[in-house]
Amino acid sequence: MTTIEASGLSKRYGARTALDGLTFTADTGEVIGLLGPNGAGKTTAIRLLTTILEPTGGTFTVAGIPGDQPQRIRQRIGVLPESAGYPGRQSGAEYLRYAARLFGRSRPDARTAAERLLADVGLSERAGTRIATYSRGMKQRLGIARALVNDPAVVFLDEPTSGLDPAGQGEILATISDVARRRGATVVLSTHTLTEVEQVCDNLLILDRGKLRAAGPIAEIVAGAGSLSSAFLHLTGQDSHD
Amino acid sequence: MTSWNVVAAQESRDLWIGGRGPVLIFGYSILLSAITYLAASNQAMNFLEQREAVNLMVQVALAVGVLLTVVVSADTISGERERGTLEALLLTPAPRRAIVMGKLAAAATIWLACLIVAMPYLWVLGRGVSGALQAAVLTLVVGTLVAVGLGGVGMIFSGWSNTNRTSLASGLLLLLVLFAPTQLPALPRTGFGQLLNRINPIGSALHYMSQVLVARRGWTQDLGYLISPLVIAVAAVGALLVAAPRLVRLTAGTR
Repeated sequence: MTTIEASGLSKRYGARTALDGLTFTADTGEVIGLLGPNGAGKTTAIRLLTTILEPTGGTFTVAGIPGDQPQRIRQRIGVLPESAGYPGRQSGAEYLRYAARLFGRSRPDARTAAERLLADVGLSERAGTRIATYSRGMKQRLGIARALVNDPAVVFLDEPTSGLDPAGQGEILATISDVARRRGATVVLSTHTLTEVEQVCDNLLILDRGKLRAAGPIAEIVAGAGSLSSAFLHLTGQDSHD
Repeated sequence: MTSWNVVAAQESRDLWIGGRGPVLIFGYSILLSAITYLAASNQAMNFLEQREAVNLMVQVALAVGVLLTVVVSADTISGERERGTLEALLLTPAPRRAIVMGKLAAAATIWLACLIVAMPYLWVLGRGVSGALQAAVLTLVVGTLVAVGLGGVGMIFSGWSNTNRTSLASGLLLLLVLFAPTQLPALPRTGFGQLLNRINPIGSALHYMSQVLVARRGWTQDLGYLISPLVIAVAAVGALLVAAPRLVRLTAGTR
C-alpha cells in the first residue's frame, strides 16, 4: 500500500530552486533512503512532506492524506529534524510527555507512552535526568522516541546519525530497522552516508542540486556501476572532478 | 485539555522551574523592597502621603511587570528558533493559534507573579488590608490589559524576528517610547499632551489608577482612560489569532 506519493514537488526561494519536480512513491513498511550531497535538497524534501514548508509546485499525499491538510498529516507522521534542538532544562520523560500531550493523549496515556518509548530506545535509566546532560547519541535516540510518540504511519529521519561515533550509528540504524519491521511504518531516511543506506534501506532516491537523479531498489541503481559509491558519484557528477 | 492549555502549562513550567522566572522576580522584589523602604521609613525621603506611596508602588509594579512580560514574550518564538526547538513544536498537530495563545498565557504568568509579589508591599504602604486590596484589584484589572496587550505585541515582534536580540530590542524600544512620556509631569495638562496620554496604553493606565488611588475618584468616573489599554489588549490578541499561521514558522518571513 502506498503511504507517500509525491508528484512534481518543487520549492523555490526567489530565483533559487531548492527542489525541482520530485516524484516518487513509498510503500508501507519500506525504508527509503534519501541520498545526496550537501545542498541536494534532502532537508527541503522532508520539510515539504512534513508540512513545515509549503511547496511552490507539485502535489503530495502522506498516509493517504493530501498535502493541503497539514494538520491531519502531522497527526500521522513522526519526524526527527536535522539538527534538532532540545530543551536542556526538561528531562527526557517530561519532553516525551509534552510531545504526547500535543498529539492529544491524556495525561496518564502520555506518561505510559513516554515510559515505553524511553525503554524502547534504551533511555529508561536517564528518564528523569535533564536533557542538557545527555550525550549527542542519547539526544538522537530521544529524538527518535519523540518521532514515535504518536505511533506514526510514516517516520522521517533527517541525518539521524550525524555526529555520532560508529557504535552510536549502529544503535540508531538498528532502531530504524526495528521501527519499520515491528511497527510497519514507512521510514524516510535522509543521509549522505552510503553505508547506512546499504545497511537499512530497501529503496533509494538520489538527489543532486534539487533534482532527482535516480530512484528505485538499490540493486537496480548499483547495477552496471559496480558499487553504490561509484553509482552515487556518477549520478551526482562528482566522478568528473577526479 | 486543548492544545493551548498543554502549551501554556509546559511553557509555564519551563519559565518557572529552572527558568528565568524566579531570577526576574527576585530582582523585581529587591526593587520593590528598596522603594518601600524609602517610601515608608526614610525620614528624608518620606515625602509621600500614604495614598501617593501606594500609587507609587502600583505604578512601579505595573511598569516593571509589563517590562518583564514583554521580555518573556519577546523570547517565545524567536528564542525557540534560535535554540532549534521550534521545528519539533511545528511538527505536532497543535494549531498555530493554540501555540501562540498558550505561549502568551504563559508569558502573562510573570505579570501575575509581579502582582502577587507586590501585595505585601502594598499592605505595608496602604497601612492595612482594605487599602492594599483596592490597589491590588485595580492593578490586576488595568495591568492585565496592558500586560496582555504589550506582551502580545512583544510576541508579534518575536514571530517577525529570527533572532532573540532583534525581538527583545524591538519590545524594549516600544516600552521606552510608551513609558518616556509618562515621566513628563506637564504633559497631561495640555490638550495635545492629554491626547497623547489617552492613546498611550501605559500613560492612560497609570493616569487612571492615580485618579482612583490618589484623587479618590470612583472607578467609573474616568473609564475613558481605559480605552487605550483595552484596545491594545484586544488588538494584540486579535492580531496574534489572525496572523498566527504566518508568525509561527520555522523561519521568519518565508513560507
